[in-house]
Amino acid sequence: MEFVQQVVNGLAQGGIYSLIAIGWTTVYGVVGVMNWTHGEVYMLGGFSGFFLFTRLKLPFLPGLLIAMAVGSALAMAIDQFGYKPLRKIGMPRMAGFITALGLSTLLRYSATAGFSPDPQAYPGDLLDYRMITLFRAGGREITVSSLHLFIFLGTLAIMLALELFIRRTLTGKAMLAASQDMSTLELMGADPEKLIKITFAISGALGAAAGVFVGTIYAINTMMGSLAGLKGWSVAILGGVGNMTGSMLGGLLLGIAESLTAGFISTGYKDAIGFIIMILVLLIKPTGLMGYSTEEKV
Amino acid sequence: MWKSSLKYVIARLPRGSGEWFFGSGGRASFIGSAAALLLVCFIDAPFPSVTIVPPYYKHILFSCLLYAILTLSLNFVTGFIGQLSLGHAAFFGIGAYVTGALTKYLGLNFWLSIPAAAVLAAAVAVLLAAAAQRVKGAFLVVVTYGFGEVLRYIAINTDGLGGSAGMPGIRPPSIFGVPFNRIGPSGKEPYILFAFAVVSLLSFFTWRIEKSRTGYALAAIREDEIAAAAMGINTRYYKTLAIVMSAFLCGIAGSLQAGYASFVSPELLSSTQSILILTMVIVGGPRSIKGAILGAALLTVLPEFFHSVKDMFGLGFDPWMILYGLILIVLMRVRPQGFWGKSAVF
Repeated sequence: MEFVQQVVNGLAQGGIYSLIAIGWTTVYGVVGVMNWTHGEVYMLGGFSGFFLFTRLKLPFLPGLLIAMAVGSALAMAIDQFGYKPLRKIGMPRMAGFITALGLSTLLRYSATAGFSPDPQAYPGDLLDYRMITLFRAGGREITVSSLHLFIFLGTLAIMLALELFIRRTLTGKAMLAASQDMSTLELMGADPEKLIKITFAISGALGAAAGVFVGTIYAINTMMGSLAGLKGWSVAILGGVGNMTGSMLGGLLLGIAESLTAGFISTGYKDAIGFIIMILVLLIKPTGLMGYSTEEKV
Repeated sequence: MWKSSLKYVIARLPRGSGEWFFGSGGRASFIGSAAALLLVCFIDAPFPSVTIVPPYYKHILFSCLLYAILTLSLNFVTGFIGQLSLGHAAFFGIGAYVTGALTKYLGLNFWLSIPAAAVLAAAVAVLLAAAAQRVKGAFLVVVTYGFGEVLRYIAINTDGLGGSAGMPGIRPPSIFGVPFNRIGPSGKEPYILFAFAVVSLLSFFTWRIEKSRTGYALAAIREDEIAAAAMGINTRYYKTLAIVMSAFLCGIAGSLQAGYASFVSPELLSSTQSILILTMVIVGGPRSIKGAILGAALLTVLPEFFHSVKDMFGLGFDPWMILYGLILIVLMRVRPQGFWGKSAVF
């Protein structure tokens, strides 16, 4: 029953990956840029949470919401100063990617210069911590810590709210349409710049939320964005880029796969498994698990 | 005001083809730089009591040349077929590890380990090339990145390769029975000259290949893959060729690094290293030989310079990394094709 326990352990981390991946996938779907700075938004979200919880001594929920607002503002600023000038001159693909690389380096090392490079931990009494027994299986109790359960439910709630926003509101539907065909949407009278702003805001909020959630279990540091960001992008590809449900599923799968790898194979390969799965999936089904293939035109 | 003057300067930047250096052709530049290099290397030899060129500068010079090999190699993928790769440090690392393991455990001659390293890197690249047939663009970026990371984790978790601590004590190469580190005033000179020879040959090779049937085929694939296939170009073959060739050359650079440092660590395979090599190509200008060398030199010298600035002012952080990010952003805004690049592509 060790297997079931590991699956349960992986779910919380998986929810966090899903949040990061959705941030990647919405931006790539609507704007078509591989937003390499997303890992940095996640890191800075974690740090704004840290300052809100330790300096201002805010309780969890207001802190989370403010951190998400900070993440939104940051992502919008990144778009405003980084990608928008390039869009005006008809962004070449490579230029967008290199700008993203530059922005991410700039943010990461400015953060290292501004904050302490040492790992920081959230206050211990922020959330209630105890072990909860879920059920008994095979004579063994399957337990989950209240923190992991809380994170998992929190990520699910955020994703559900986003899903409702996308399906039920006009703006959400416009975003969905934009990820399929931006130029047609423009002909229908939608303002692409406004949509792009909203997309970045949502992406930033999700990234920051993921950062705060991670901070409640692990210590945060200024370098954590690079690996987590890339794992998010692998998850987005794994699930099929532009497909939010795919990202959700992919994130949970990756969380479980990492937990199982750590438990049964070797902790040293825990971080590598995501990339291995992603490469295999791309080679077998280049559109990802739930992506739909688009015909390449000349 | 400053914007227009910037445009004026940019319009007068040297173009990709034509003169190499201050109006001189390729041959004159080669002879000139070889002479300058020999002078820098051996100026200390007649006067053992004084040091005119400190060994630290020679180390930087070697790093520049080593990275120039890497950028010229990556240029086959990024410049010629127009795909970004964030995994090229993996091939560099494979080369270094193969040379390290073969010379240390099997006692193989350093010179024999170079072809072994290059061939193994090329063999691994065949796998990556298979991936590149199926995905491209942003997807290929993350596949190459993941590929490099997976190899790094393998290096970290394999005890036979030294694990995360790396593999020390690799014997330096020798020529006619004289170890490399005994030749010249600081022991770095033979490495510098060897790296320079590789860079020169590689530049010549790149220059020749660009105007060959292969070069035109690669250019056609870069501009429009579907149209190239319609013209009867075997895109699968040429893409594989570019990637494998590039990995082969990176493997040679890795061997050289292993011999020079007599130490191999998983850091050689890190994504930071891959990103550095890629940005060197971008800063210098893809598809430009001069650009690749310039990019490698700039991004090797500037960090060292800012490192000394950091020590001078006792800063608690590295100002270079912040500036590095800024340089990339500004460069893409004002000159997306890089310093010596021919035209904005991709």
